[in-house]
Amino acid sequence: MADPRLRRWAEVLVRYSVGVSAGDKFMINSAPAAAPLIQEVYREALRVGAHPHVNLALPGLQEIFFKEANEEQLRYVSPIEAMITQEFDATLAIGASVNTRALSNADPAKQAMAAQARRHLQGTFMERQSTGALKWSVTLYPTNAYAQDAEMSLDEFTEFVYGACFLNDDDPVARWKALGKEQQRLVDWLKGKEQVRVVAKETDLTVSIKDRIFINADGQKNFPDGEFFTGPVEDAVNGHVYFGIPATFQGRVVQGIRLRFEQGRVVEATAEQGQELLEKMLGMDEGARRLGEFAFGNNSGITKGIKNILFDEKLGGTIHMALGAGYPDTGAKNQSALHWDMICDLRTGGEVWVDGQLFSKDGKFVI
Amino acid sequence: MPDPRIRRWAETLTNYCLYVKPGETVGIYATPLAGPLVEEVYRAVLRAGGHPLVRLSLPELTEVFLKEASDEQLTYVSPVDEALAETLDARLRISSEANVRALANVDPARQALFQRSGGPAARRYREREQEGKFKWCGTLYPTQASAQNAEMSLADFTEFVFEACFLNDDNTAERWRDLGHRQQRYVDWLKGKERVRVVGRDTDLTLSIAGRTFINSDGKRNFPSGEFFTGPVEESVEGTIRYTIPSSISGRVVQDVTLRFHKGEVVEARAVQGQEFLEKMLNIDAGARRVGEFAVGNNFGITRGICNTLFDEKIGGTIHMALGDSYPETGGLNKSALHWDLVCDLRPAAGGGEVWVDDELFLKDGKLMIGA
Repeated sequence: MADPRLRRWAEVLVRYSVGVSAGDKFMINSAPAAAPLIQEVYREALRVGAHPHVNLALPGLQEIFFKEANEEQLRYVSPIEAMITQEFDATLAIGASVNTRALSNADPAKQAMAAQARRHLQGTFMERQSTGALKWSVTLYPTNAYAQDAEMSLDEFTEFVYGACFLNDDDPVARWKALGKEQQRLVDWLKGKEQVRVVAKETDLTVSIKDRIFINADGQKNFPDGEFFTGPVEDAVNGHVYFGIPATFQGRVVQGIRLRFEQGRVVEATAEQGQELLEKMLGMDEGARRLGEFAFGNNSGITKGIKNILFDEKLGGTIHMALGAGYPDTGAKNQSALHWDMICDLRTGGEVWVDGQLFSKDGKFVI
Repeated sequence: MPDPRIRRWAETLTNYCLYVKPGETVGIYATPLAGPLVEEVYRAVLRAGGHPLVRLSLPELTEVFLKEASDEQLTYVSPVDEALAETLDARLRISSEANVRALANVDPARQALFQRSGGPAARRYREREQEGKFKWCGTLYPTQASAQNAEMSLADFTEFVFEACFLNDDNTAERWRDLGHRQQRYVDWLKGKERVRVVGRDTDLTLSIAGRTFINSDGKRNFPSGEFFTGPVEESVEGTIRYTIPSSISGRVVQDVTLRFHKGEVVEARAVQGQEFLEKMLNIDAGARRVGEFAVGNNFGITRGICNTLFDEKIGGTIHMALGDSYPETGGLNKSALHWDLVCDLRPAAGGGEVWVDDELFLKDGKLMIGA
């Protein structure tokens, strides 16, 4: 007997988060470990009259790919993958890793090459999602691998996920809408503002948000959610920042990142752990050295980092910034094969000033 | 550490069955249960310079689909399947079921409707196959479900599969080539022949193979294989035949089927088990009542039925006939959404039997009689 919250989860994902409609070509990307949720999502998608497709990744194949593939194979993009990005109406990604470190020994240069070959698809995706032609959402199914990263048992981690997703509530959608309303008030206040200054531990950074749009993320594209984000003016980021919450990239942990920006560009980058990976990622392309996103985390159900960005960037009382591609609907122009979020904790002594007004203090909004 | 025979299996599938060339796109279709074999095939395809594209299906979803889908959803042609039919140079299907009876309670008419929606893509694959642009192969990865269906333990069943596939041999592909050479002599002998008569217990059937071509199935498209088959002249099938090897399709088992043909059409059909299902299948469409394939099983590594067509139809000393769709390359003209192989056992333990071809004794009591 499956947990009854699974069906509730599936209903919210299909009807609220992705907003699947009758006739939609709907792709569910996942892995076998998420079978119970996939089954319920598939059922719900059929009930709304859509055409669900399931694309499952077998754990282990990516590792083989990066070990065996030659350059031609690394750069190959299947026309099926391209067609799905160009023609599908909706996609849902359900993370379900059984080993988040399976690619630890894969050659980052080969990974970058494969990512580079997909850059035009990333562009198509960004374009189509900004016009609403492509609806999408990302969620995560609890596995022992994620629980292990979070330093929890699978049981504890499962409850953590349900809590962060408001799935213990009879009406999770109402909860998400309430959070969305609160965030909208802050987004409205930010309209027309120009300059953001972040002051925190080893951090003093200014970012221009002039003419950029903040997006209210309330449980649709990410599940769980709870953030509002924009794309900063590309050449107007200056100062230094310390990211105290461990950052992860494809399972690899980079701890204690310090970045120094000049006119939007990273000019100095150090990490307490993972320096080499940090540098490789920054060298991926020109856009990888610039910010594509600046955002406030606002999910009070998430109180600690679990080394998974879907949750960590929503941590209530933090801000995060992404190196690499920006979301065009924020006004961001930065392009890159990279989009890597890093989190700065404001809960002990952090302040965010917006055009000279104190916006947030110790992780709490004060306006 | 996986069984080393798995890698041998993967290499045989990749390099012998599908003979993958650099730059070719290879679809690998399986369920997660076949993980170890999928991994090795994926690796072998990369090493051959191909582009592997894995399409995993969750066993539970077919049931959900058949129960929930509207008629519109049921007959919808997926753009992914259409694109794959244009793109794939080769396709490997690895049957790997979790429960071979999972669809036992799903309306067979809905299953047939669903199968037909695969029609446009299936046609496109066949066209491209005939143009020499598409290769395919089907194999079976041992699971508890298929072992249970075969009435064996998983360990015993796994050995049975390896043996039937010649995977205990260091040079598996060579064994298949040998079998292919031997079968080719039968196929050559059959060229130009016209009449086939099958006589056995409760069986006396004649059919014409005039102008039709026998195909030598040597382990490339079916793995294991070991059969040679043709499409009989559609309206020529006359008489009665009893199939004692149990058959399993669409989640049902049908046992001990007897069919009577007149002018190529089934006019009487009885099954000791599964009568209702048999009748439903015969009524899928007009072609379902006609024979699309006549074949001789010739894998003597397979000595018993396991309720799975891939193996059962290859049992050395049997013949089989498929109701429904024919293979165009044999000259067969019959069209249907159905292709259902039924196996007639001619070995001594089943009462023996004979196959006569233009009045020469071709097969007797499970042994091929002509000097090949």
